[in-house]
Amino acid sequence: MKVQYVNSFYKAVQDVFGLMLDIKPERENPAVADDMIAGNEANVMIGITGDLSGSVLFGFSKDMSLEMVRIMSGMEMNKLDSFVSSALGEVVNIISGNAVTNLAEEGYICDIVPPQVIIGENKSISMATEKALILPMKTEIGKFKMNISIKENR
Amino acid sequence: MWKEKYKIGVELIDRQHRELFRRVSDFVKTVQGEGEWEEKLSKVKETLEFMKEYVITHFNDEEIYQKEIDYPEYEKHRQIHQKFKDEVGKYVEKFQQEAYSEETVQEFGGKLMAWLINHVAGEDQKIGYFQNRGGSV
Repeated sequence: MKVQYVNSFYKAVQDVFGLMLDIKPERENPAVADDMIAGNEANVMIGITGDLSGSVLFGFSKDMSLEMVRIMSGMEMNKLDSFVSSALGEVVNIISGNAVTNLAEEGYICDIVPPQVIIGENKSISMATEKALILPMKTEIGKFKMNISIKENR
Repeated sequence: MWKEKYKIGVELIDRQHRELFRRVSDFVKTVQGEGEWEEKLSKVKETLEFMKEYVITHFNDEEIYQKEIDYPEYEKHRQIHQKFKDEVGKYVEKFQQEAYSEETVQEFGGKLMAWLINHVAGEDQKIGYFQNRGGSV
C-alpha cells in the first residue's frame, strides 16, 4: 500500500479533528493485518471507488464516540444511539471527503461510498481485501484506529 | 453548540448562523431529552418546518452576498448547498413515509449537526477571509 493513500487519510483526520473538535490526533506505530475486523464499540466503514478501490474502517471506543459528540453538541451523551452514530458517521464522511480531495492532488481521482456505522464489538466484516494497514491514533480524548485497505485499479 | 470561532465577520451571515445553531441545538435537546417520543413529536415537527425554510433563506442570502463581493468559489459553494438541500429533501420524504420514526429523526439530527459545524467552521470561513482581506483568496 502506497504511503500517499495513508497520508491522505492521516492529513484529513488531522484537519477535520482540528476544525470540528479542536483536537490534534497523532499517529502511533502502524501494523499489518490480514483482514478487517470491526473490533471496537463503534465502527465506521467507508468505501473508495475510482482510480483506487478498497475500504477504510474507523474504530472508536464508546467513551471516545460520546466525547466527540459532546464536544460538537455541547451536551452530555450517554449512549451509542442513532443520533451519536449518525454524527460519528458524518464526521468520518467529512474526513473521507477531505481524503479524496488530498488523493486528487496526488493524481488519483476517487469517490467515496457513504459510511456504514456498525455498533458492537467483534463483528467481523468479510471483505475480499488485500492486507490492511492498521494505523493507531492517539488523542487527548482517547485512542482510535484506522484500518486502511486500498489498492490501485490502473 | 455555537462557538465564537465560527464567526466569519459578516454581520448578516453570522446572525443567521447563530440562529441556525440555536435551532439545531434546541432540536437536539428535544430529540435527546427524556420523555415519550409521541410527546416530543409536535416540537420536532415544528422545528423541522422552521429549519426547512430557514436553511433555504440562509443559503440564498449567503449566495447573494457571495455574488455581491465577487466571491471566486461561488459556484463550488452553491453546489455544496444544493447537495445538502437534496439530502434534507430525502429525509423529509423518509419522515413522511415512516411517520417521523424516532430512529430516522435522531439519525437526521446527528448528520445535520456535524454537517453544519463542518460547513460553518470550514467552507464558510473562506468567505469572511476573502472579504476581510479585501477581495483576494
